[in-house]
Amino acid sequence: MNPKTKKLLIGILIAGLLVAAVAGVYAYAGQRAFISTLFSGLTLGSLFFMVAAGLTLIFGLMDVLNFAHGSMFMLGAYIGWQFYTNPTFIFGMAPFLLAFGAGVMVTPIIKPYLIALNISEKLQKALPKIAYVLALAALVFAFVGFDILSVANTAMVAATTTTVGNPLAELSAQEPLSTFWLRPFLMFVSGLLIAVASSRPGDKTQFAPREPIGKKLLMPAALLVLTALSTLVRESASESVLLMNGNLRFALSILLSVAFGFVFGAVIEITLIRPLYVRPTFILLMTLGLSYVIRELVQYLWDPLTYQMSRPPLFAQPGKASSIAEWLQKGSSTIDIYGATVPTYRLFIIALGIAMFILVIFVMTKTRLGMIIRAGVQDPQMVEAMGINVKAVFTVVFAMGVALAALGGIGAAPFLPVQPLMGDTYQTQGLITVVIGGMGSYIGAFVGAMILGMARAFGDYFALKLSLSPAIAEASTVIIMVIVLLTRPQGLFGKKE
Amino acid sequence: MAEKPVTQKAVKKPMKVKEVGFLVFIALMALLPFVLNLITGTGLNEGVTKFWQGQLIAFFIMAVFAMSYDLLIGFGGILSFGHAASFGGGAYAFGLLMKHWAPNFVKENPIMLGNTDLTMLVVLLVVLLVVLLVSVAVGLLFAVTSMRLKGTYFAMITLALSTALFIIIKSTDLHEWTGADEGLHGISLPVWLNPTQNRLTVYFITLAFLCVSYLLLRRFVNSPTGRVIVANRENEDRMRMIGYNPVTYRTIAFVVASIFAGLAGMFFSIWNMSATPTMISAVTTVNALIMTIMGGMGTLIGPIFGAAISQIIQQFFYTWFGARWPLIFGVLFILIVMFLPYGIVGTWRLQKGNLREGWKRLLRLFTTKSEAEAPESGQKPPSM
Repeated sequence: MNPKTKKLLIGILIAGLLVAAVAGVYAYAGQRAFISTLFSGLTLGSLFFMVAAGLTLIFGLMDVLNFAHGSMFMLGAYIGWQFYTNPTFIFGMAPFLLAFGAGVMVTPIIKPYLIALNISEKLQKALPKIAYVLALAALVFAFVGFDILSVANTAMVAATTTTVGNPLAELSAQEPLSTFWLRPFLMFVSGLLIAVASSRPGDKTQFAPREPIGKKLLMPAALLVLTALSTLVRESASESVLLMNGNLRFALSILLSVAFGFVFGAVIEITLIRPLYVRPTFILLMTLGLSYVIRELVQYLWDPLTYQMSRPPLFAQPGKASSIAEWLQKGSSTIDIYGATVPTYRLFIIALGIAMFILVIFVMTKTRLGMIIRAGVQDPQMVEAMGINVKAVFTVVFAMGVALAALGGIGAAPFLPVQPLMGDTYQTQGLITVVIGGMGSYIGAFVGAMILGMARAFGDYFALKLSLSPAIAEASTVIIMVIVLLTRPQGLFGKKE
Repeated sequence: MAEKPVTQKAVKKPMKVKEVGFLVFIALMALLPFVLNLITGTGLNEGVTKFWQGQLIAFFIMAVFAMSYDLLIGFGGILSFGHAASFGGGAYAFGLLMKHWAPNFVKENPIMLGNTDLTMLVVLLVVLLVVLLVSVAVGLLFAVTSMRLKGTYFAMITLALSTALFIIIKSTDLHEWTGADEGLHGISLPVWLNPTQNRLTVYFITLAFLCVSYLLLRRFVNSPTGRVIVANRENEDRMRMIGYNPVTYRTIAFVVASIFAGLAGMFFSIWNMSATPTMISAVTTVNALIMTIMGGMGTLIGPIFGAAISQIIQQFFYTWFGARWPLIFGVLFILIVMFLPYGIVGTWRLQKGNLREGWKRLLRLFTTKSEAEAPESGQKPPSM
């Protein structure tokens, strides 16, 4: 038989089976149960996709399996949740990070001059080391006497306790500006020292053209202005953010999470992953260690407790809306869809998943960056020969992947309990999704995520209805993965190597 | 896998040093409980002495498990996240038989040889046999899946398989057999094998287990078969060209590693008198992975070192750094991955010459000042 007809026949067969299965389940479960299970399946699928999208993006270009992805998902949730309920921590830390960033961003300006210096070989070797040590010292001094925990822990309410008060009521007075300014200043100095060290003074093998510095000055200058601003408003800002409209605040926390994820991903890629590209297995181990560190850091800052993020007002009012218009008007917490009651926040998660999918598709197929990434997957050497900085593209891709994870995290935060292990189950499912869909294929990731979500939701439904073991639903995703891998090792949408 | 193999070299002279080190290790470990007893004077089965025996028992068992994992990742170049399946499989096979089968059997069919009761011995032998069979079966299962998949995909399917086993073991339907989430507790053991009553016996049994495993694995790694497994890691296509079937040798590696892991699991369930779902989950595999990486991949002594370090870390980091000790541990792990990619033993072997050179220079620095300047320019200072 002609392979094309064979493929077509198999496709028709699978489609027919699928339709029959859906019709069978529909007839068996009845409309109401079917629709509500369908929506919980879609929600789960969206959540899986949010994790899998970043994983598959990173794997596709860099062949890096990021085992810290679940932790980054969790970190995104924590950052967004902090901004939404208790911005003291964000505003307390902002001057430090911004000042440090401003210092580091000076690198492209000073590099051309530093590498042109004529210094002895010994000094060349010693200078970066000395600068790194000094930078570390400055960093430590900047935090001496600064109580991070009290900023992070201000009036945190765990999900287990019910008392919810004004989050800022317990806020202890912060340091006066007259002494506080020294901290961001030290951070800036630390960043500058790192800029000096990383530009390798006197090293003639390095290359950096002397271009007009006008454009390069923009970034550090902007960061410095932001530092000054955030230093001034570090106490008052939290309150004004909390007084904001809840929906706006939620939108802002999503933006903040994504931005944080992007910067965090870029920093991780440049400092930790880039030196390890020559040893791919070690990247995997590194991300494993990284996930430990992130998880423990979060537990250190916010205690190993489970928190509940309240839903934004658009999804919070009790009552059932009969139509989407009514929901948007009243902000009801549930909505009636063909007789089934569906929480409106689930609709938001589904919409977020689909929006992410469209965004990824758009970026990958319609923009210049996407073109470069796709070319980089096929032949990185050739792309480099074309004059594109593949290293920088790698950084951007990793940062994008982490930003997607953070977006998923904050999107899921009002829906899932916020706790240090919240990302881990989703990471496992995300990895399975990526394998089912084919590594590096984002369409595959979407289809795989939806298949897994449906399998979980309907598995749970049937387990409950037929009083089977819930282990069946839990194991169903693994079973699907094993079947897919053994019949089509490259995944549903993966290309054969 | 690692591009520079750090394998054991069959050079004649260092072999001798290694033997001496090995014997010293055995002697030290064998004497330790008695020395501790002399110092503290609390008795062999009491207090500090007993505590340290317990620590060392766990170390011996985990060292064998880490060595068996290193056989896969270090020597075979196979990244598997499902190695705990063998470990937990052995533990559960032992636990289930000892809890649900052995007591009845002992009661109903006493086997006597003259006046001595051999029932327990027969039971233990049968259980050992079953543990071996289960381990071989698990090893074969992973070997079969490795036939179709490579690299990352294989790592993923092993993760999935071990997750599936984990889900099965802790499912509530099997509660009366496996104890579901809480695990299998209260395994009945004969008095002489009971770690709370007769810890010293268990101590020496596990010490012997480690030594025998080490010798067997060393023999295996240095045998022609072991060499082919290493070659398979380096270049599979070339191996096939020469006429070795990579699948056969991978299967051998899987089965051998699985047997040792299964036995380690069995001893671990003797030591804890329980078998828990965690033993079968990916966390346990990752622990072995961390031990192997810390000690040095592709060496047999490395995982033993790694197991010792990880045991120390688990014991003392909590008292030193409080509840958030994994933070320090994670940072340490990242640093090792970044700067000591061959682990402690591997880096030591690579840098041995360098270190010796540096040591000589240091000595020269103290003896005569003028000579010290001369060799400065050429040599790189040791980075350890």
